[in-house]
Amino acid sequence: MSTDLELHIPLHVKYIQSLGKSKDDLMYHLTAHLRMNAIYWGLTALCIMKHKDALSREEMIEFVMSCWDDEAGAFGAHPDHDAHIHSTLSAIQILCVQDAMDRLDVDRITKFILSLQKPSGVFAGDKYGEVDSRFSYIAVNALALLGRLHELDTEKTVDYIRRCKNFDGGFGAVIGAESHAAQVFVCTAALAILDRLDVIDQDTLAWWLAERQLPSGGLNGRPEKLEDVCYSFWVLSALSILKKVSWIDADKLMQFIISAQDPDNGGIADRPGNQADVFHTQFGVAGLSLLGYPGLDDLDPVFCMPASVIEARGLKKGWQALPRQPTL
Amino acid sequence: MHGVKRVQYSKEALEAKRQRDQAKLKEYLALTHDILSRKKNNDMCREAFELTTRLLRVNPEFYTVWNYRRQILEIDMIPKSSAADTNDLLAEDLNLTTALLKQHPKVYWIWNHRRWCLEHVPNGPTEEDSNGWRMANWNKELFVVEKMLEADARNFHAWNYRRYVLGTMPVRRSELSELAYTSRKIEANFSNFSAWHQRSKVLTALWESNTVDPVKSKEEEFDLVKNAMYTDPGDQSVWIYHRWLVGDGGEAALLKREINTIQELLNEQPDSKWCMESLVHYKRLLLQKHTTSFQPGEQVNLVESCIGLLQELGALDPARRQRYKESSEHITRLST
Ligand SMILES: [Zn+2]
Repeated sequence: MSTDLELHIPLHVKYIQSLGKSKDDLMYHLTAHLRMNAIYWGLTALCIMKHKDALSREEMIEFVMSCWDDEAGAFGAHPDHDAHIHSTLSAIQILCVQDAMDRLDVDRITKFILSLQKPSGVFAGDKYGEVDSRFSYIAVNALALLGRLHELDTEKTVDYIRRCKNFDGGFGAVIGAESHAAQVFVCTAALAILDRLDVIDQDTLAWWLAERQLPSGGLNGRPEKLEDVCYSFWVLSALSILKKVSWIDADKLMQFIISAQDPDNGGIADRPGNQADVFHTQFGVAGLSLLGYPGLDDLDPVFCMPASVIEARGLKKGWQALPRQPTL
Repeated sequence: MHGVKRVQYSKEALEAKRQRDQAKLKEYLALTHDILSRKKNNDMCREAFELTTRLLRVNPEFYTVWNYRRQILEIDMIPKSSAADTNDLLAEDLNLTTALLKQHPKVYWIWNHRRWCLEHVPNGPTEEDSNGWRMANWNKELFVVEKMLEADARNFHAWNYRRYVLGTMPVRRSELSELAYTSRKIEANFSNFSAWHQRSKVLTALWESNTVDPVKSKEEEFDLVKNAMYTDPGDQSVWIYHRWLVGDGGEAALLKREINTIQELLNEQPDSKWCMESLVHYKRLLLQKHTTSFQPGEQVNLVESCIGLLQELGALDPARRQRYKESSEHITRLST
């Protein structure tokens, strides 16, 4: 294996393991509001790197359950934090990967999620009412995992997403908002789960997505912006769903993600030379998986979870990543 | 985490930093604990409110604390205040978030709280002028959001908030002033696609309502875009906007005119990817929509020219060569 393309899996595993052990670190506590998401990111990255067992299953499940907000009937990001749709999805995803869905109060969570849909069809993140097409995706993803998609008003949900579509084929956070690769991912994936890809102008969107690749090989999220590892996932997942990953240069993107690794302490950063974090580690590894990087497990780009987990639940949609390479 | 340079600290330096942070950490944890236990006990007193201010200044991403703050305002402080005092309370919260946004311009929770404040501005100051406070607040919001867009002209939080504020103004502003705003932003920087995007939305509204003459206004847009193309033919913002302006290609004459304009630019800038890419796009539209009006030989010429351009593009922009190859195949199929 050529060393300049090597993904330092042992280092990244160690890095993810170390994240829960820095409890005397100020930064650890300042990011408590992201803890549930961080565990989902870490677990997903570990699964894709085939080291699911590097974090204790029991401890993880207990932590998730300790974040239950009984008043709201959903999960917060941390014990004693308020319920939010985003931390609720992460909680469901973690329990799904850990095969512990029996711990969930499916009825109450379904009720919580459905209560957040607005008359326009969009979802709010919590009872304080911020709306965003991200939350529509989160609702659709969560209900699919819970087996409760049939309770969703699909027409209304799709209608809002359709109204977020712009002339460039992309989608914005709300009606009228500029297209952004992360919003493209959430809208495309939500439509994939709902079997409504007909809403998308597929050639126009795939063109716009392919133009996100910059000479460095990295991808940006909007025209004339800088590249960033997390866009590897947002753009690539949408391209996989549209079956157009071949429209960008996979080798150059792989090099870009690999070069954003911290070769000493593990983890992947937004960009080469920057400070690593678990978010970019997960989305970097996820991107590499979709690009066919050897030795990784398949990632499902629609749910952003291990493909085997989604397949086992009968939820797989017709996406297409690049074939897994035997070696570099 | 975005844009933080990686620094390799020595073990000693890390230990020293950890020591320094210990006092801060202790204080932060005590404050968090205090607030979350008060929240659990439904403590709605003023002191709890002040504590949330302290914590949010340190960590404005702590959404649960924003929620608690709103609860105190909603359940206790606003019901106990006169309308004028409520307006002042909300003004204070807006000031707090303005200060926080300067340091954290991309934190969703801060923008949300601003929105919540606006939505709670009471009627007043008088019965006759019941929109007065709202007008003052909304105008101030536009001012703040313009400051934010001066600091970062692409901040999508700020643009989304701007559209929200404009869409909920107690007295709607004319779309013409928003058009003028996008002109200023675009003149300052042609690469600002956020401003071009906004312009496409504003013009759509202006054309639909016939506030401006759509035909004349469109021609002015073509002039503006042409100017921008010639200034920097490599800037994709302008080309994407041009694609919107041309639209679905229903008008053959328009397609042909724009093809000529771009061809002239390509003659001056023979390696311009975006000239070639756009020529292929518009020529393909001609092939798809206007074959019945073609002169003899026109179709063959268009197909050959597209295939030639796509070959050049594949060499010039190899990252996307597969797309160019598929386009070439598609266009070949169109001619048979
Ligand atoms: Zn990023």
